[in-house]
Amino acid sequence: MANTVIGSSIVIDGEISGDEDLVIQGTVKGKISLKESLFVEGSGVVEADIETQNVEIAGRVTGNIAASDKVELKTDCRVVGDIKAPRILIADGASFKGNVDMDIPKER
Amino acid sequence: MATAKELAPGAVNNTVVGQSILISGKLTGDEDLTVRGRVEGELTLSRTLIVEPTGVVKANVAVKNAIVSGVVVGNINATESVELTREGRMVGDIHAPRVIIVDGASFRGRVDMGEVEPGRMPSDRSALPRPTGATVRPAVRPGAAPARPALPGARPTPPAAPAAQARPAAAPARPAPPPAPAATRPAPPAPPAARTAEPTRPEPPRPPVAAPVPPTVAEAARKKVVVKKKGR
Repeated sequence: MANTVIGSSIVIDGEISGDEDLVIQGTVKGKISLKESLFVEGSGVVEADIETQNVEIAGRVTGNIAASDKVELKTDCRVVGDIKAPRILIADGASFKGNVDMDIPKER
Repeated sequence: MATAKELAPGAVNNTVVGQSILISGKLTGDEDLTVRGRVEGELTLSRTLIVEPTGVVKANVAVKNAIVSGVVVGNINATESVELTREGRMVGDIHAPRVIIVDGASFRGRVDMGEVEPGRMPSDRSALPRPTGATVRPAVRPGAAPARPALPGARPTPPAAPAAQARPAAAPARPAPPPAPAATRPAPPAPPAARTAEPTRPEPPRPPVAAPVPPTVAEAARKKVVVKKKGR
């Protein structure tokens, strides 16, 4: 399967949408909407609203995140914004500022 | 991060826009970019843009090199080269010192290779790293060629020398064009005559403009003179 990588020296100012996994090592500003997983690597910087199925963040994200499945904040990540997802994992060492909404009523 | 590496085993330090991905907006970077999906808006790279057969770029592109195997709608401004491969389709203007359009590629737009100086090009061309550039180039250059034939006609003396050197180099390189240019414009073959007969008679070549081939020009001129003498 083709997969998309935004390299560390790349800066995107705009909108990214698609139906496949996206790996961000560079900088993305604007909006990201995917039907698959988003990986923000250690060097990745995202200043965007994110709408995906899964998100794994090891880098920096500023913006609201809405995932239909899972959001995972890894060690050393820095996230500012609201997170809305049925499953949210925050690892030890992650820094996060914002609201968390796991939408529990929906599940039950 | 481990997951990312698993996802992208082959693509190390290289940006790929996957087939189902749409990026709209402004994209800048200092690394190679491979587009298999869609990019719309503005694209600026200091390295190479590769548009694969599935890729669609609707953007104004500023890069160092561009290799187009997919679709590009918009202008490409390259500091080094633009190559349209067999599968490449493009609508827009190309501005680059080296433009390679391969047989099978479709293209609509303008090509600007910048300053095309007859005297300067040969050295540039010999300095080219790839042989493909040298072979393909002459095919694209005929557009600039018409300017050169004018030179010897206007001033057949010293200035013609560099032009004459440039022309033999370009002429054998393109196999198909020669017949047509020879038929349409009689000027190109003239330089050999200008080179050989330069010091002795700079003006005579002009009157018998009707004669297309230089050696025959001289012969024809002599014959005419002889005939006239005989007639008188």
